[in-house]
Amino acid sequence: MALEDYRGDMEMCCRCSACKFIPMQRVKGLQYANVCPSIAKYNYHAYSGGGRLNIAAAMLKNGFNYTDKLLDIVYNCQMCGACGVSCNYAMDMEVLEPINEFRLKCVEDGQTNPALEKVINSLRKQGTMITGARGKRGDWAAGLNLKDATKEKVDVLYHAGCLTSYDKDMQKLAKATVKILQKAGVNFGIAGNAETCCGGRAYQMGYKEDFLNQAKKNMAMIKKAGIKTVVTGCADGYQAFKVLYDKYDLKGDLEVLHISEYIDKLIKDGKLKPRKKVDISVTYHDPCRLGRLGEPWIHWEGKKVPGDRFVFDPPKVYRRGTHGVYEPPRDVLKSIPGIKLTEMTRIKEYSWCCGAGGGVNESNPGFAKWTAQERIEEAGSTGAEAIVTACPWCEKNFSETIKESGGSLKVYDIVELVEKAI
Amino acid sequence: MALSKDIYKAFEDVVGAENICDDPVIMPAYHSAELGAVILPKNTAEVQAIVKLCNKYKLQFRAVCTGWTGMFPKGIIYLDMRRMNHIVEINEKNMYAVVEPYVISAQLQAELMKRGLHLNMKGAGANCSAMLRGHGHLDQTTSGDDRNQLAIEWVTPEGDIVRLGSLGSSDEWFCGDGPGPSLRSLINSAVPPGVTPGVFTKSAVKLYHWPGPPSFPIEGESPLYTMSEIPANMMVRYFSFPSVEKMWEAELKIGESEISFELMGFNVSMVAANITTSNEEETEVFERLNKAVQGPGFMVIIAGNSPEDFEYKKRVLQQIVSDADGKSLEAVEDPRIEGILLCQCIRISASIRETFRNGGAFNSIPIMGQRDLTIKWAIGAGKAKEPLIEKGLIVDDGGAFFGWGVEQGHLGKTEIFCKFDPSNLEAKAAVEGWQKEQSTRAFKERYFANLLMGQTEEIGPALSNYHLWWQKFTEAIDPNGVSPGGGALV
Ligand SMILES: Cc1cc2nc3c(=O)[nH]c(=O)nc-3n(C[C@H](O)[C@H](O)[C@H](O)COP(=O)(O)OP(=O)(O)OC[C@H]3O[C@@H](n4cnc5c(N)ncnc54)[C@H](O)[C@@H]3O)c2cc1C
Ligand code: SF4
Ligand code: SF4
Repeated sequence: MALEDYRGDMEMCCRCSACKFIPMQRVKGLQYANVCPSIAKYNYHAYSGGGRLNIAAAMLKNGFNYTDKLLDIVYNCQMCGACGVSCNYAMDMEVLEPINEFRLKCVEDGQTNPALEKVINSLRKQGTMITGARGKRGDWAAGLNLKDATKEKVDVLYHAGCLTSYDKDMQKLAKATVKILQKAGVNFGIAGNAETCCGGRAYQMGYKEDFLNQAKKNMAMIKKAGIKTVVTGCADGYQAFKVLYDKYDLKGDLEVLHISEYIDKLIKDGKLKPRKKVDISVTYHDPCRLGRLGEPWIHWEGKKVPGDRFVFDPPKVYRRGTHGVYEPPRDVLKSIPGIKLTEMTRIKEYSWCCGAGGGVNESNPGFAKWTAQERIEEAGSTGAEAIVTACPWCEKNFSETIKESGGSLKVYDIVELVEKAI
Repeated sequence: MALSKDIYKAFEDVVGAENICDDPVIMPAYHSAELGAVILPKNTAEVQAIVKLCNKYKLQFRAVCTGWTGMFPKGIIYLDMRRMNHIVEINEKNMYAVVEPYVISAQLQAELMKRGLHLNMKGAGANCSAMLRGHGHLDQTTSGDDRNQLAIEWVTPEGDIVRLGSLGSSDEWFCGDGPGPSLRSLINSAVPPGVTPGVFTKSAVKLYHWPGPPSFPIEGESPLYTMSEIPANMMVRYFSFPSVEKMWEAELKIGESEISFELMGFNVSMVAANITTSNEEETEVFERLNKAVQGPGFMVIIAGNSPEDFEYKKRVLQQIVSDADGKSLEAVEDPRIEGILLCQCIRISASIRETFRNGGAFNSIPIMGQRDLTIKWAIGAGKAKEPLIEKGLIVDDGGAFFGWGVEQGHLGKTEIFCKFDPSNLEAKAAVEGWQKEQSTRAFKERYFANLLMGQTEEIGPALSNYHLWWQKFTEAIDPNGVSPGGGALV
């Protein structure tokens, strides 16, 4: 699909502003009613989901005029999809898809962001989104004696992802995951140095071709190795393998699970028992790409039925953020003795983004941290000692923001807490 | 229409570089209007400074909250009130809340519910400004419109700060009419041109008792929210009646007996929109519900202040409905549907689904007047929709109208609209033709259709030549003509 294919959706926008807020029924007070980081920070309607559609629709009609301001609007968006969820509470129309297509078009037309270009160059050269990455991708597993899934038969391929593999502070997540899988007796392996970036973050940044390259590389490796199940350690990887590969007909019948889903399954099947007490009060942050954007892709092709209303033949089923992964991570946390889980105001499909998505982490770190700070405050308002997430990008952004602002909230990935409990 | 560098700089000095923008690229997001600039003031002092500059440079301006609808003359300065989003005070004892323009109703309502209080929210929805007046689902019990606006802080078109009502003589917000100046008729122009000159920067909103829980126990995921449990003291029902007379009789009696929390004269097409989550489902449910009703109807929400009060109200309701041969719509008795309607109609997020979801546009004729008469007018307007429905130009909603009584009495608002796809030019023209024809008929039959833009000269003589007074007023308070009419608050 291209931007033109969403003309009807964009013209449906009635400018009601619902996409700036969490769904009205969920608003619990003056605070934490916003859902879109971009309009919350930049205030002009142009930065909201609806405003983006208005601009894209006008440009389709009147021609594309790339100005600095336009690019500022385009790239200061986490592509978090919250606008779409709030809109689709009431409306039948696509919101994130046209916003995404608009960004892809900008990149296609050479209207890129220098910071993102740098990241993509690193991807092209080194197969990772981590600029200046040192060492080899599989170094984190040195001495762990893990199976090489490209050579040995395994039931599960654990895809660690770029940040966890290369960032020294994040490698602890891969190691915790390994411990958990070993404890549960899972026959798993890693691809080590043969692992490559899933491409998901490149796609969020607007680089479709680079994404497709990565997707094809990954799927070729997976097919060759005969892998049936992939477990990802990060939410971006999850969305890429599960949703985006499917969107571009590359996924086949590969089973894709996020580590939180897999641990939940292991616990429910009696293969893993978190027995040790972990005395801590926590709140859980739904990563966008595990939650609302982790909802399976729905293949659809059809035409608007001519007439008075926006209906299609065959009927179009919208992805409204409902079928993301929400309960498994919560169930895992609840299964750990001693953990007290309190929910924030903005959760599940109307969760507030951590700020690191859509390339914002790289193109405008100040905005990424501003967004994280709002979430940190919301987490703090629950009285929890720690915010738990299920994505290394969220963890890193939260931790760095807390470090800068001098807060006391602790940050964990869900695997770190499970590791403590087994 | 770009501003000169000097003028731009003068505004920028007031709000800072981040809070003014005249880049044409953002304009499509602002109603595709050719605005002079969009400015985001932070407080009353900044609004005042902007307005004074507008006078100095003879630039027109208009303040806007969420800006759901609007018309903007070329070159106008758009004051986007987004940054003025604070609740200044919730005065539980004297039952008012003071808010800045961009507090949305959902936010204020949620804060109030925690305190056992509530507000009259305009029917447009919880996504709109809590401060701006309007009519809504609670009108029967709380009245609507300017009755709920108490003291106001107002920056006049010349840039003076005027404190209206009790605020004019003290720092108290409790009353809109004094002690202190009451300019209610001037600042709340319900008749065309329908927009107040100048800028409201703060306003006190009247509060009411909230008999429900401190927060709504919502379950499910968007867009399938319902209540995990119906509060023990709340009930929703939809009743249909064999005739308009019978419905009106029941509506009046419910008002007189003061038993309802909310009476909303929905038609079943609106019920269908509210309880479904897609256009396809809505079409199917509408057909089913339309067969189940016997004629015009309304939705009632009953809320008891004690178990006894709840029982009493239910019994009175039953008696009134049975006296008027009313029939309860069974589908709404299902607790799941009841829960959805409670969510949609108390936290009011109904109107987007009801109007825009189907085709992307709607054109409406709201009229104020005695309900039974205006309903009869609306039935005529509904009949006039039939050829458009037959041609497939507008959505088939059974030709229905909706509305509600105001202040437990005879007066009320009745409204009828056509939903259509605006990219279908034939449909657009047909709907505009219908709207013009039916509005003109309303006016000829002496109904007050308050959105008849541009007909001031015609309406004026029928309303004590108010238009001449209005003109004199605006000339006096806006000598530079910088605060144009032509928008609408309702
Ligand atoms: C689907 C739909 C349903 C609706 N239903 C109802 C209804 O049931 N009852 C009802 O009363 N209205 C209804 N309306 C009208 C609605 O109230 C307005 O459309 C309004 O735009 C809502 O948004 P807002 O409150 O944020 O005001 P805005 O759209 O921001 O402003 C409305 C008007 O007020 C002016 N204004 C805004 N802020 C200020 C200020 N601070 N000082 C001075 N002037 C200002 C604006 O210039 C504009 O003319 C409906 C509209 C729609 C689209
Ligand atoms: S994108 Fe959807 S929610 Fe946002 S303004 Fe448009 S219609 Fe409303
Ligand atoms: S994707 Fe997220 S950041 Fe971008 S406009 Fe939508 S809600 Fe805002």
